[in-house]
Formats: sequence, structure tokens, C-alpha cells
Amino acid sequence: MKVFKKYLKVWLKLTALAFSIDLSNRFTAIFAITGKVIRFLFFLGFLFLLVGRTETLAGYDLYQVVFFFLTFNLIDILIQFFLRGVYYFRGLIVSGDFDLVLVKPINPLFRSLFQRTDAYDFLTFIALIVYMIIFIATGNLVITPLGVILYLVLIISSFILGLAFHIGFLAFGILTTEIENIVWIYRDLSSMGRIPIDVYREPLRTFLTVVVPVAVIVTFPAKALMGLLSWQWVVFSLVMSGLFLFVSLRFWKYALTQYSSASS
Amino acid sequence: MKRLFENCLRARIMRKYLQVIRITFQEYFVYRLNFIFWRLRAFIQLLVLYFLWLAVIPQGTTIFGYDQAKILTYILGTSIIRSFILSSRSVDVAGEVSSGVLSNFLLKPINYLGRWLAKDIPDKILNLFFSIIGVSLILIFLRPPIIIQNNPLIIFLTIITIILGMILFFYLSFSLSLSAFWTPENVWPPRFLAMIIIEFLAGSLFPLDILPAGVFKTLKLLPFTYLLFFPLNVYLGKLTLQEIFIGIFISLFWILVFWQLAKALFRLGVKSYVAWGR
Amino acid sequence: MSIITVKNLKKHFQVHKKEPGLLGSVKSLVKRKYETVRAVDNISFNINEGELVGFIGPNGAGKTTTLKCLSGLLYPTSGSVSVLNYTPWDRKPEFQKQFALVMGQKNQLWWDLPAMETFILNKEIYEVPDEKFKKTLTELTRLLEVEDILEVQVRKLSLGQRMKCELIAALLHTPKVLFLDEPTIGLDVVMQKKMRDFIKEYNRRYKSTIILTSHYMGDVKELCERVVVIDKGKIVFDGKLEEIIKKFADHKLISVVLAKEIDPKKLEEVAEVKEFDYPRVMISVKRKDVSAVTAKILDKLPVADLNIEEPSIEEIIRELFTGKNYA
Repeated sequence: MKVFKKYLKVWLKLTALAFSIDLSNRFTAIFAITGKVIRFLFFLGFLFLLVGRTETLAGYDLYQVVFFFLTFNLIDILIQFFLRGVYYFRGLIVSGDFDLVLVKPINPLFRSLFQRTDAYDFLTFIALIVYMIIFIATGNLVITPLGVILYLVLIISSFILGLAFHIGFLAFGILTTEIENIVWIYRDLSSMGRIPIDVYREPLRTFLTVVVPVAVIVTFPAKALMGLLSWQWVVFSLVMSGLFLFVSLRFWKYALTQYSSASS
Repeated sequence: MKRLFENCLRARIMRKYLQVIRITFQEYFVYRLNFIFWRLRAFIQLLVLYFLWLAVIPQGTTIFGYDQAKILTYILGTSIIRSFILSSRSVDVAGEVSSGVLSNFLLKPINYLGRWLAKDIPDKILNLFFSIIGVSLILIFLRPPIIIQNNPLIIFLTIITIILGMILFFYLSFSLSLSAFWTPENVWPPRFLAMIIIEFLAGSLFPLDILPAGVFKTLKLLPFTYLLFFPLNVYLGKLTLQEIFIGIFISLFWILVFWQLAKALFRLGVKSYVAWGR
Repeated sequence: MSIITVKNLKKHFQVHKKEPGLLGSVKSLVKRKYETVRAVDNISFNINEGELVGFIGPNGAGKTTTLKCLSGLLYPTSGSVSVLNYTPWDRKPEFQKQFALVMGQKNQLWWDLPAMETFILNKEIYEVPDEKFKKTLTELTRLLEVEDILEVQVRKLSLGQRMKCELIAALLHTPKVLFLDEPTIGLDVVMQKKMRDFIKEYNRRYKSTIILTSHYMGDVKELCERVVVIDKGKIVFDGKLEEIIKKFADHKLISVVLAKEIDPKKLEEVAEVKEFDYPRVMISVKRKDVSAVTAKILDKLPVADLNIEEPSIEEIIRELFTGKNYA
């Protein structure tokens, strides 16, 4: 309990520091947020235009398709909000400042992942939640209470999966310092989840379910809400999250032993 | 005798720019890993669009005036041409301005704009090369129905419009980068936002003529349409000769606008840059 | 009771060698040649509480690697290390709360924010109680004279100011053991003195055990009674600074000022000349021969002044490292 409180305090302080920096970079922030919002609106408009006309996409109606897209954004924002620290990791390793992180009585993985909470993303997160609630309330989406519970559970599961991947990236970064590119590839693959993965053909679809489980991360929660996900797949998702998390933590531990630290 | 002398002079000038091209190619070998990842990302983004449109317009249907062959050709075609039209090393202009490296070049007897044009060439060639590889993979493994244009006049006009698109984007991008003169600390945010808007309005996600008529008419007056949508439309043979020439005319107009804008911004910028004593 | 015990510590790195050029790159993809770098090669020493020990050695000697093993950053190839009764690379938080590492060229201060913000962050990380934090902070800022720069963005500070703040950030939790790796590197002469004074004062006031690595002899001369000389991963000397002179300098220096010009060949007849820049002559003489040679000089040469000196520590160390005198 005491440990939890300490980590919470440290996380809050780290977030406050990150926000101070972001606040002084207002100029950048405005453009970045505006860009993200515009990109979101463009694609949303595009979906309305497209599926509004064709009525279905891979068997889903307009509202379902849009909901997939909204879920994708929800998870993407959540991960970006918490784990933006990953983008600053390479700098730590290359400069050798990571040494000074390692000697401190705080878990270096925790520090590296959560050191740069994106407070601005919190705003977009709220905005998205609001829009989603409005969308569900006024749309033709058929949802059940069970669906909502499963949705929330699977969103958390998806976050854990995403977390596992990011831990893997950090470990990879320790071993090779090549972290930027791999994170961006992951994000591009994830963006394939903007539309229901049923759209994709095999073997891509299996790839997106098992190897880079975009399907599990994005499509599953949305399907669960709509009552379209069988309980086997729910279990599959939870087991997968646990498994990936376990493996990634092992990988991180291994990477630390291989860390040779930049020479002075 | 005078003619010979003039030829030699021109050759010397050409050599300067050839050197820039050569060195830029070499830089790419150093950053080859980053470049390959960049192309990989572009390929993944292409896959998303490809499958999306494949599902939206199944075989045998026609939506928004496009059948499967047309739309897939459009998507694959824009993917190829955007690789070299929408790419530009002039992103780095901003870096050179804010870091002060620009000073070195103001002293050298080489035209700044010209130098960037020369830098763009290897970048575009490499991008085109890899883009073709990506599209070929799709052609081989997914076998989409596509439209091959065999009217030589149309092909010729397509090439013209592509070249115009390249030039247009060059000046557009250059003007954008010059914002670095006034906001040296924060260079990427305006560009980030601008590229999102430009890519969308150029038709990278979808052919612009599926938009409501009023919107489309407006877009036709804007420069962005002529970067991607217009050349592909010419290729697909959807336009009359008259429409093509109107389009070329509008392209030229916008090229002129951005060319003058780039020159003016550069002049203004250098003045304030020098005034700050960088 | 020793607070730091190191027994037969070895740290070897596997470094792969790549031939230059394109062919080399391809070759290295297929078959890699690994070379073992023996950064730390079987060293042992003990340090007691409150000692201020200097580790000196040429670049690449293994001083920093040793410090990294002591702070738990690196896993040793073999050997044992105990600091405050903990094994460093277990990285137990209880251990980490009791020591601090400061590295001359690495930063823990957040660049875009005032140093104060990093201090508060460290307070949470090290779980320093509010009162203690305030007290320690006030003392340290007073000692280092940085009260007015704490609210300034770190990026705007000079190197000296930044180093001072880095020190404070490292000492806020009043560590019992302090590892300083090249703390004065890059600082100007005035700043170096201030740093040394501070370290000396800190050691005196808080009785903390300090290990300092440096290749500035000035640091070591001023701060350390005990010195450990490391070269090529091995300890070459471990003891009092004065002992080094006695142990390794088998010669003395005679500096002569000549009264008038003479033929250099005549100089050679008398003794081994190290430096000759009229009117000064530097002669190196084996200890046992000092009297004899001095007599000869006074006899044969027109001497205006003559001085018998010990070689400087810098010179002794330099000779140590260039391969002589590992008696």
C-alpha cells in the first residue's frame, strides 16, 4: 500500500513536470491538437460519406463502422496519454542519462514509460468520451448492459496489451537504441484498426489477430459492446494480454542485464 | 568560340547541382534504415486504403461513378505519385534556418532554391523506386483489376500534370518551411497540421469527385487538387481535353502564386535573419 | 568496519570489431569477430566509513566501470562487491536510498524546467520527509551559493551552475555513500576549486564515504588522502598519496640556473639533461646520486642558482601510465 502511494505521488509529480513543459510549448500544442482533431474529423467525415452511401461495410452498418473508429481513437488516446514517455527513451539511452535513472529507488521501467504523460491528450480524451456517449445515445447502435461491461473490461485488456508492446519497445531500445521506427510501425499497423478488420483478407487478418493483435486491441472491445463477440474470444483477449505482458516484462528484465551503459 | 565558352560555363553550373544530388544520395545510404522504415510505413498505410476501398466497392458495383478497377487504380496510382510529388527535402529548410546553418549557404554562390530542387531529386527517385516495389507487391499478390492507359496523348498529358504537381508542391512546401524564419523554435507543428490538410484535400484518401458537387467545385479552384487528384483523373481518362487544359491553367496559376510567395518570404526572412545577426 | 568491500571484481565486455567499408559491413552481418575488453580485471579493495578516496588512472583504465559496478549499473563478470552490506546490482530500493551517483557529463535535471522541480521530484522518489528536505536543501544551496538560480530553467544555466545543481539533486537524500565520476570535468579553474572545497566540506560535515574518480591531479591532491591508481583494469597502487612519490619516484630533479652561456656538450658530460632552455637547465638524477651530481655541477658549471626538487605527482603518475615503474 505504501509502495502504491509512493508510485502514485511520483507519477503525479512526473505528470505535473511534463505538463509544465507542455504548457510552455503552447504553440506546438495548439498545432498538434488541432492537427489531431482535424485528422479525426476528416476520417470521420470520410466514413460517413462512404458508408452513408454504401449502407454496409464488411457486413457492418454505418453506426457500427463509426463506432469501430471511435474505439480505435479511444484506445489510441489512452495509450498516448500514459505512455508518451516511450518517445523520450532513446534520448535517455543515447546520452547515458539512463544510468542516473537506474540508480534511483524507483522502478526504471515505470519511470521510462510514464515520465511524460500527455496532459493535452486528456482534453481530447474527454472530448472523445463526450462524443461517444452522444453517438451511442442518438445512434442506432444496439447495446446491452453486458456489452458495456465487456467493453470496459476489454478496453482495459487492450490497454494492457498496448502496454506490453511498449515495454517490448523499451527493451528493444536498450538493446539496439532503434526505438522510434519500431514504435511508428506499430502505430501504423494499429491504424489498420480504424476500420473493422473483417475488411482485410487472409493471411493479413490472422496476422492482425495474433502477431500484432490490432484486432484484439481495437475490434474486440467494439464487437463486445455490440454483442458480437463470443465468450471464447473474450477469454482469448484476456489471456493474450496477460501472456504478452508477462513476456514483455521478461524481455525488459533481460534487456537490463545487457545494458552496458554509454561509456564516459 | 563564344558558344564553346558559354557551354563550359553552363556545364560548371550544372556540375554544382550535380554534386548536391550526389551528396544527397550518399546521405541516404547513411540514413538507409530510417528511409526503409519510412517506406514500410507508407506501404502499410496503402494497404489500409486498398482493403477499405476493396470492401466499399466490391466487384461488379459502381459507386460514386467508380467501379472497382477505377478506384483501385486511383488508390494505387495516387500512392505512387504521392511518393514523389508530396515528398520534399525542403522540410530541412526549416532546420537550416533555425539552426543558423543557412548562413553558410547565403555566402555560397549557389542559388538557395536551386539547391533544394537538386536535393529533392534523389529523394524523389528513391521514394518512387520503393513505392513502385510496394505497389508491385500488391499487384502480384492481390491481383487487383486496374486500368492501364494506352492513349499516348493522355499519357503525355498525365506526365505534364504530374510534373506540374511536383513543382507546385515544391514551392508550397518551401513557403511552408520558411515559417521557420519567424518561429525558429517550433518548426514541425505548422508543417504537421498543414500536411494533414494538404494530403486530405489532394485526394490521398479518396477521389475528390465523390464529394457533393458544391464542395468539389470549390476544391477545383484550390491548389491542392492539382497535386494528386487531377493527374490521376487525367490518367483515368475521365476528363475532356478542355477540362484538362483548364486544370493545367489553374495549376500554372497556383505555381506562380507559390513561387512568388516563396521568393518574397525568403527575401523578407533573410532580411530579418541577417538583422538578428545569426 | 569497511563500508565498501570489493573482492576480485572482474568486468569484461564483448566488443565486436567491424572492418571499415561496405565489405566489412556485409562480413559483420555473417560472422562477427568478438574481442574481450577487460575493463576491470580482478581488483580488490576495502573502504571504511568516512573515507575520501580518489581513483585515478588514464582514460579507459576502468575507474568509471568500477564505479558503475559499485552503484549497481553493471553486472560484473565475476567477483563480489558489498556496499553498505548490500549487493549493488540487486538494486534494492533500501540500498539505492543510501547512496548517490554523480557523473560529470550526465544529467538528471530536467532540461526545460527549473532545478527546483527536479529536486522536488527526487524528494518523492527518495521519500525524504518534508522537514528534512527543507533543511538539507537550505544547507546545500547555501554551501554552493545557488539560492537565486533555483527557479531558472536548467537550459539557461552555465555549466558550473548546472553541476552545482546536479550535486544538490544527488545529495538531497543525504546519502551515506557518494560516487563522483569526473565531477570537475569541463569546469573553469575557479569552479573546480569551489567544487573541491564543497566536497571536502561535505565529507567533513556529513561523514559520508566518498569515492571520486578524476584525471585531474588537482582534484586528487586537494581532496584525497588515500589514492587508488588503476590502469588497464588493474590496481597499480592503493595507499596514501605521499607514498606514491616515495615508491615510484626513484629520481629527483635538479634545476639549475646558469650564470653564463656554455657549450651544451659540456652539460652532457656532467649529467643527464632533461630540459635545456638557457639559462635554465633541468637535470634528472637518481636519488642515490643526488649529492655526487650536485657537487659535479657546482664544480664544473657556472651556476647562478641550484634547486633540488621532488618530481611532481603528475609526472610520476604520467610515467606510471606510460609503462615504467610498476615496482
